Amino acid sequence: MNRRYLITALLALAPFALCQDEPLPKAETILDHYVEVTGGKAAYDKRTNEIAYGTLEFKAQGLKGAVTRYSAAPAQEYLVMEIEGVGKLESGMDHGVVWEKNVMLGPRIKSGAERAQSLREGTFNASVYWRDQYPKVETTGAEMLDGELCYKVVLTPKEGNPETMYFQKKSGLAVKITTVAVSQMGDIPFEVVSSDYKTFGGVSMPTKITQKAGGQEFTITINDVKTNQPLPADRFEPPAEIKALLSKAAEKK
Amino acid sequence: MKNTRSLRKLALLLLAASLFGQTPAEKQSQIASFEKVWTTIRDKHWQRNPGGLDWQAIHSEFLPRIEAAKSDEEAVAIMREMLGRLKQTHFGIFPAAVYNDVEGEGGGDGSAGIDTRVLEGKAVVTDLDPGSPAEKAGVKPGWVVISVNGKPLGPVIEKLKSDPEIHELALERAVHSRLTGLVGSTIKVAFLDAANTPVTRDLELTTERGQMARFGNLPPMPVFFESKKFGNTGYVRFNMFLDLVRVMSGFGTAVENCMKCDGFIIDLRGNPGGIGGMAMGMAGWLVDKPDQRLGAMYLRDATLNFVINPRAEVFTGPVAILVDGSSASTSEIFAGGLKDLGRARIFGTKTAAAALPSIFERLPNGDGFQYATANYISEGGKALEGIGVTPDVEVKLTREGLLAGHDAVLDAALEWIRKKK
Repeated sequence: MNRRYLITALLALAPFALCQDEPLPKAETILDHYVEVTGGKAAYDKRTNEIAYGTLEFKAQGLKGAVTRYSAAPAQEYLVMEIEGVGKLESGMDHGVVWEKNVMLGPRIKSGAERAQSLREGTFNASVYWRDQYPKVETTGAEMLDGELCYKVVLTPKEGNPETMYFQKKSGLAVKITTVAVSQMGDIPFEVVSSDYKTFGGVSMPTKITQKAGGQEFTITINDVKTNQPLPADRFEPPAEIKALLSKAAEKK
Repeated sequence: MKNTRSLRKLALLLLAASLFGQTPAEKQSQIASFEKVWTTIRDKHWQRNPGGLDWQAIHSEFLPRIEAAKSDEEAVAIMREMLGRLKQTHFGIFPAAVYNDVEGEGGGDGSAGIDTRVLEGKAVVTDLDPGSPAEKAGVKPGWVVISVNGKPLGPVIEKLKSDPEIHELALERAVHSRLTGLVGSTIKVAFLDAANTPVTRDLELTTERGQMARFGNLPPMPVFFESKKFGNTGYVRFNMFLDLVRVMSGFGTAVENCMKCDGFIIDLRGNPGGIGGMAMGMAGWLVDKPDQRLGAMYLRDATLNFVINPRAEVFTGPVAILVDGSSASTSEIFAGGLKDLGRARIFGTKTAAAALPSIFERLPNGDGFQYATANYISEGGKALEGIGVTPDVEVKLTREGLLAGHDAVLDAALEWIRKKK
């Protein structure tokens, strides 16, 4: 029992000691360092597209599925998840049109802050181009996460809610993001925990990503990532239902 | 003689125990139950200060009373009083005996294919599954179920109806559970037929109507979806908002095939709900205006708006939704939201008033404990919980009508659509 108290006391002291002894690094330095430790700008820039294959699991609900994400420069994406009992959930973006479609809620086109948020997340090699996305970045502190000291960086986008990222001091890797996500159903506190970094096509990326939002928690495990693959020309084209909604919106205008 | 004396001593001890309160084990069980109830509300209620109360102060106030309770009944009454302070529905303690009455003795996947409702205190057959054992045995809508396997239903219905904590949904479930059992087993059901003559049928139970649907950790459940037309009016009925892919696809196809119909009827009678999101998806086939909501669900850390995504082509004709006291949860969210938006006319009787995601758990003392984890406000600004959806047109089923082959609720909806034409 005493030992636990001692550890707790040490954990509590750690950030304080850091604040006393060394100044916090600038957010710009931390973000650029992240690019370096995950492969460097040159490695990122060699990649023009990517296909990631993985699985996802809602452990508490007992739901499992497969996930495949196609993405390409500058900001094209097609994500498809097949979940047992839920069916196919698709989302994508192409030429500024951001959409999603699933069996339950049907097709829809995103707009406003939700669209801006998706475009930020869907920008290819977004880590390199953070300056284009976030006019303001700031290191706000340091804290222990899973026994590692992490710098806390708040990134404020042009549109939408600020995001707080946690970077390990030792490795420079991003291990957690918290934000209030903008969704059609409302603003929802959102937490993403990333781990198990592996290198694919010269760039290191997390292969275990756990997301918590609205009382739900699910984990995505990336099994393989292929880069610079030949992709069909219509890979990122919205499905017919989305095109029908676009036509309907155009008619109303 | 010695035995007699021992027995007398035992009787005196028992008498003393009843006079002086619970045994230490019973007291511990009640304290553990109290702690379980209090902690659950503290950790899972959608408000950080449940019901606007100082929940820690509630603990300090009620724990000594539980410790001093002289009987199980008193302890349960104290816990009920504590939950009553919340002034919110869907929080209740069900004494073990009542809980057992609701659960019944049936259970299993076998069904006789009989749908019943308690009408004027009697379990009346309202529908029969096509090809079911009951239909094959000649059972008819309007017959009254008197007993199952020699055990009369009347006293159970009377007992449950007299308990204010038991709502209609639980009552119907209590009756239904007695008409189920293991597939292949036989139940002996005594009825009153159309002429009020007692008749008995031995019914060999078969699998329930529908296809077994799986959704994560939920137990597999039979889900049916039917779609047909009455003249040029579309009609869909499904027993649960589950089996997402099949039911959503079936609903979409039914609406797409009915774009030029005079009207569209969605029969949610007996539908206890399921996946809430399906209500939004279905509404997208019926609502053309963007940015509409069915309502909002309030969780501890977030508010979830039940937003409708209009499809590229939607049905714009009259929509009627049929409900009754067994229409609950997602059924109420769907019916209440479309009513509030002025998009559907509701026919039948008041819904179950059980819209919240609530959980039933057994307490250490054996009692049942129900609690809600979110609040839901329909688009009209009213909570559905404890109030339910009040139909625009109240129509009650009657035994006489059923015996005459009429479904008064469906008839009223068809008549309204005919007049709107």
